[in-house]
Amino acid sequence: MPTVPVVTARFEHYVQKDSETHGMFLRYIFPPHPVGFVPREKLRGYVEGNDPVTGRPLMQEAIDHLTKPLTEMEKNPVIEKKPKRPRLLEPDTEENLYRLFIENGWTDGLPIILPTEERVAEMLTGTDRDPQEVIGRMSVTTHQERLEYTVEKVAVNAVMAGCRPEHLPLLLALAATEIPSLPSSTTSFSSMLMVNGPIRHEIGMNCGLAALSPFNLANSVIGRAWTLMSINFGDARPGETFMHSLGHPVNYNNLCHAENEEESAFEPFHVEKGFKPEESTISLFRGWHYSGSNLGPAKAMADAMQKTTRMGTIIMDPLVSAHLKDEGFKTKEELRQYIAKEAQSFPQAINFIVVGGQTNPMWALTDYMHVKTVSIDEWIPKSGIKKDEKPLRMPVPVQCKDGICGIPAR
Amino acid sequence: MSKRLLTVLDPKGQPSGVFGRVLDLSNPHAILDPEGQPTTNLESFEQYKMADRLDTLEGKTVYLVETGFAGAADFMKEVQGWFEREMPSVKTVLRSKAGNMFTDDPELLREIAEHGDAAIIGVGG
Repeated sequence: MPTVPVVTARFEHYVQKDSETHGMFLRYIFPPHPVGFVPREKLRGYVEGNDPVTGRPLMQEAIDHLTKPLTEMEKNPVIEKKPKRPRLLEPDTEENLYRLFIENGWTDGLPIILPTEERVAEMLTGTDRDPQEVIGRMSVTTHQERLEYTVEKVAVNAVMAGCRPEHLPLLLALAATEIPSLPSSTTSFSSMLMVNGPIRHEIGMNCGLAALSPFNLANSVIGRAWTLMSINFGDARPGETFMHSLGHPVNYNNLCHAENEEESAFEPFHVEKGFKPEESTISLFRGWHYSGSNLGPAKAMADAMQKTTRMGTIIMDPLVSAHLKDEGFKTKEELRQYIAKEAQSFPQAINFIVVGGQTNPMWALTDYMHVKTVSIDEWIPKSGIKKDEKPLRMPVPVQCKDGICGIPAR
Repeated sequence: MSKRLLTVLDPKGQPSGVFGRVLDLSNPHAILDPEGQPTTNLESFEQYKMADRLDTLEGKTVYLVETGFAGAADFMKEVQGWFEREMPSVKTVLRSKAGNMFTDDPELLREIAEHGDAAIIGVGG
């Protein structure tokens, strides 16, 4: 069936590249961008006017595309297979390699640690998996070629992010989900990563005071590593595969944190999702909005959700969870049913997580949907998480129950 | 910085020959979670060829399919209006794709194959 796809001129480069990748040079027409939220009279002008890419009358072009015979190339498209990439880059000075990583778009724009063979080998001491084991394929788009990656590739990106071997099992579990933190959409998605279970303490994650702020090594570098893997495995290239119009500041670190299970009045998130309390898990969420300065009881939560997102995840300080229990909500499920009814939403579209240092009974309203929870345990080496002789942990002034994770002492 | 030469590892993933995913509307998490969704590969692309073109649109039926992106429905109405004014012998059928812009609509494709001669689909963007 002869077909003409219509795509606005802003996406000319994007769709032409996509067609090339698939070996199909489709006959597009390109009206001006955007066509959304513009008056009908203007759209009529677009239809009656010229294609801004070719300068030819748009509709005449559509008719030609449907009636002019196919060229030889169109009849016999050739798909150019991408060559396999070498494992090692050409040796160069630190300065030149650093520049290369930035200019090739392999970073998040922040300084990285160069993944030398020695550093990657050290990172790989954090797993007993074969470094060449393929553990997934990822694309930030729904249609482009998904890039394949090994345990070693995860270690390379972990080094770049500033991770340590103790973080690697969690990153392998994360990479194996094949879910990018940066899905390409013009609407500028963001993601959230939360960790549950014993691994939180073993690798020194913060689930307490200022857990969502940039103080804790594990929270910071694990969240960053997800972004670097999304860039390098998901092949995020602005303008080619990645089209966020505004972008999103959460993309730098993906709100990476651990849940404050010890101080929460409710059951841990991963238990709610069917995992055992002693299992370590990662939960992934995706959405757009984060509004962080809210106070008040369940009614206030329902009102806020009803007025804005009508779905999503409420991130609450442990003090809030205790207050909600005092209000009479014995479980998250009871709270979920109440808020869904009040906010005219669906219970399955509402989640609650507990994090924070109990300095203020605040909660954040987000529209983050829960995407997936996976176990980390199968990625932990048989000998356990590799730990430093002298662990890098939270700064001393932060009071912690066991001195590592940021949970306030009682 | 030191002028000593370093050898570093390539951080990018390898080409896999496996492409994207086909989003299944029956899975509400389809756009969020790629697991379990079918993928395509290079070999399957080689089976796809562009269809032969028509000699003329005169007297033919052209389906105008709006994909669900903002403005697409109104744009296609204007395309339909253009055909009515400029090429009245062309019969146009305006249809909205079921589901959302990311999902397939096999039923509509079957209808177009059965009753249409050509299609204009959009607007992406």
